[in-house]
Amino acid sequence: MANFNIDSKKARTYDAIVIGSGISGGWSAKELTERGLKTLVLERGRDVQHIKDYPTTNMMPWEFEHRERLPKEIADANPIAARCYNFKESSMHFFAKDNEHPYIQEKPFDWLRGYQVGGKSLLWARQTQRWSKYDFEGPARDQFAVEWPIGYDDIAPWYSHVEKFAGITGNKDGIDALPDGEFLPPHELNCVEKYFKEQVSKQYKDRHIIIGRAAHITEPQQIHLDQGRAKCQHRTICERGCPFGGYFSSNSSTIPWAAKTGNMTLRPHSVVHSIIYDDKKQKASGVRVIDANTKQMIEFYADIIFLNAAALNSNLVLLNSTSSRFPNGLGNDSGLLGKYIAFHNYRATVSGQYEGFLDSTTDGKRPNGGYIPRFRNVYKQETDFLRGYAAGFSAYRMTSNDRDGLGESLKAGLHETKYGNWGVGSHMMGETIPKESNYVALDQNEKDPFGMPKLRISVDYDDNDEKMIKDYMEQVSEMFTKAGFTNVRTNDNHRNPGNDIHEMGGVRMGKDPKTSLLNKWNQLHHCKNVFVTDGASMTSTATQNPSLTYMALSARAVDYAVKQRKAKNL
Amino acid sequence: MERRGALKSMAVAMGAMAGLPAWASGWNKSAVAKSGLLAADQSKNLAMIVETIIPKTDTPGAGELGVGDFVQKMVKDCYDAKAQASLASGISNIDEQSVQRFGKSFTDASKEQRLQILSDIEKGSDTAQKGFFSMVKNLTIQGYMTSEYVMTNITHYEMIPARYHGCVPVKKG
Repeated sequence: MANFNIDSKKARTYDAIVIGSGISGGWSAKELTERGLKTLVLERGRDVQHIKDYPTTNMMPWEFEHRERLPKEIADANPIAARCYNFKESSMHFFAKDNEHPYIQEKPFDWLRGYQVGGKSLLWARQTQRWSKYDFEGPARDQFAVEWPIGYDDIAPWYSHVEKFAGITGNKDGIDALPDGEFLPPHELNCVEKYFKEQVSKQYKDRHIIIGRAAHITEPQQIHLDQGRAKCQHRTICERGCPFGGYFSSNSSTIPWAAKTGNMTLRPHSVVHSIIYDDKKQKASGVRVIDANTKQMIEFYADIIFLNAAALNSNLVLLNSTSSRFPNGLGNDSGLLGKYIAFHNYRATVSGQYEGFLDSTTDGKRPNGGYIPRFRNVYKQETDFLRGYAAGFSAYRMTSNDRDGLGESLKAGLHETKYGNWGVGSHMMGETIPKESNYVALDQNEKDPFGMPKLRISVDYDDNDEKMIKDYMEQVSEMFTKAGFTNVRTNDNHRNPGNDIHEMGGVRMGKDPKTSLLNKWNQLHHCKNVFVTDGASMTSTATQNPSLTYMALSARAVDYAVKQRKAKNL
Repeated sequence: MERRGALKSMAVAMGAMAGLPAWASGWNKSAVAKSGLLAADQSKNLAMIVETIIPKTDTPGAGELGVGDFVQKMVKDCYDAKAQASLASGISNIDEQSVQRFGKSFTDASKEQRLQILSDIEKGSDTAQKGFFSMVKNLTIQGYMTSEYVMTNITHYEMIPARYHGCVPVKKG
């Protein structure tokens, strides 16, 4: 029996363990396996294999029995998930169900999750803007949260590294606040977007309208073909999973790439309970997993552990990893674990119309939009709120069909498409300030269906956010008005925090172990063989969509971890 | 044309219409019995209502395209009990009006008589009946415009455009 146990333990021992298979976990797995490390990838949800497991990807609109509208039973049972813009009849199978994965909202917070191999990388909006030096310098300059331990120059080569592999479309715009990357050919701005770009350049010296940078293959390079991926076909139904691999997901790219090395073991249905800390060795020795099907606890062992469970679940795992050395959660000597949670503020929109270019329209579909890089407080503090916002900007030709009347006249009206004005719209993407009072914690009593403590989430907007919303509405309305747009309207949709799906922090990076959890290599200050490279590690949030930065941080941290392992420092 | 054909055969090959895997259909209503919301005669009346709203001309009408079943399914699955009751009573009300005004059931009434009944409801002052009719008309238009026939033959839906041009001339219809 003793021998059997030894063999069993050996069979459960790897060089590295990656917790989570989403955007950052996929990158950790790719980089570790490419460097020859036998790597176990743990995923709490089911397996989703590229193409094979995209059941709705080739369905025609009329094949959806409710034409994408949610059945009432499903909407009622999932009020949180149903508030997500991307939760549809065609994509809802890639969202975690509210009732199966409960949490406690001390304040309203929409926690949107994708529990399957690939995680939310199947569902993301695929915008991939780099951060600039101003974003990394923000907390130190404006005296909030804690100073970042890295700057733009530390991460720039890793942005390039991940951009080339993932395939990022974009234009080299030469904008200080939004550095250019390794771009495939850009998508096109349409006539009204180009017109607005010109108007804004004429009227404002440091405001720009550009085409968004997005994870779409507009012109496949050899590295994309090697992954079995092809050119984006402009279907714009990405949330169903793309059979062409036209956009980047873990499923189409990093996970199969890691599998191809022969070094990856993927274990779905594995809910991570905690990271095991070995008092004698003074480092982590493995991971405790609850098998989602049998509810049995199993332990796996490794020299290096990458925690990529998505921001709030990475906090949950660390908080639940208690030992005599770390009674309050792994690496949590500072007591700050779970605190300084921040997010993005997507509450406000501005819309309008343009009565020019009436002889023109667009043709085809574009899985991308225009983008207004942050222009507030970039070089110095100039408003009564800290930081700033980026914004989306898109124009579209409005069309309508006459729905009046009944019978043959109605039918004729429906068959004739009439062109109206151009519609223009913008949405804000605001930076929020990480605060100690915005936190997550474990509930002391309530457990989820897997026996894990329920996560308590206490996160809210503040006055800074309200001022920023007001400024966004004023500034974009002014830009619209100056461009000659009419019927300009602002809206605050009062969505809950979390609904932007850009939750970050809780395990922030920093220079000082007293005020941060992770060092400049995303390594726990007090448990050197554990790395956290997802949104949990973010010291501040910037305005850019965060996924590209998680990818770059993951690749960078793996490179460091493997070198340290070779040097026997882990 | 060739592309459209290729697309269709691809959809078939990919098993688009085949049953979804268990984890995907867990999110669907497949577990719920497929029984309709309305009795058989009410369903027939609804089919005649949608056909009256969008009739057969040189192209099929909403009745022939099965839009009545779509309307019923949507109200059953996506609307609350009040709307469901309003659908049933609204259809009965139309049938009663037809008998009162023209001495025959709605399905037996002439095309002009049917149009007149629906048009009077749409323009009338009975808010409950107007609310019912507005729901049915909107769903009829949605079901018709998103039917395979209309999207394939009239509005020419493109599953895979493979392009985006930001500025092209508006085609004169």
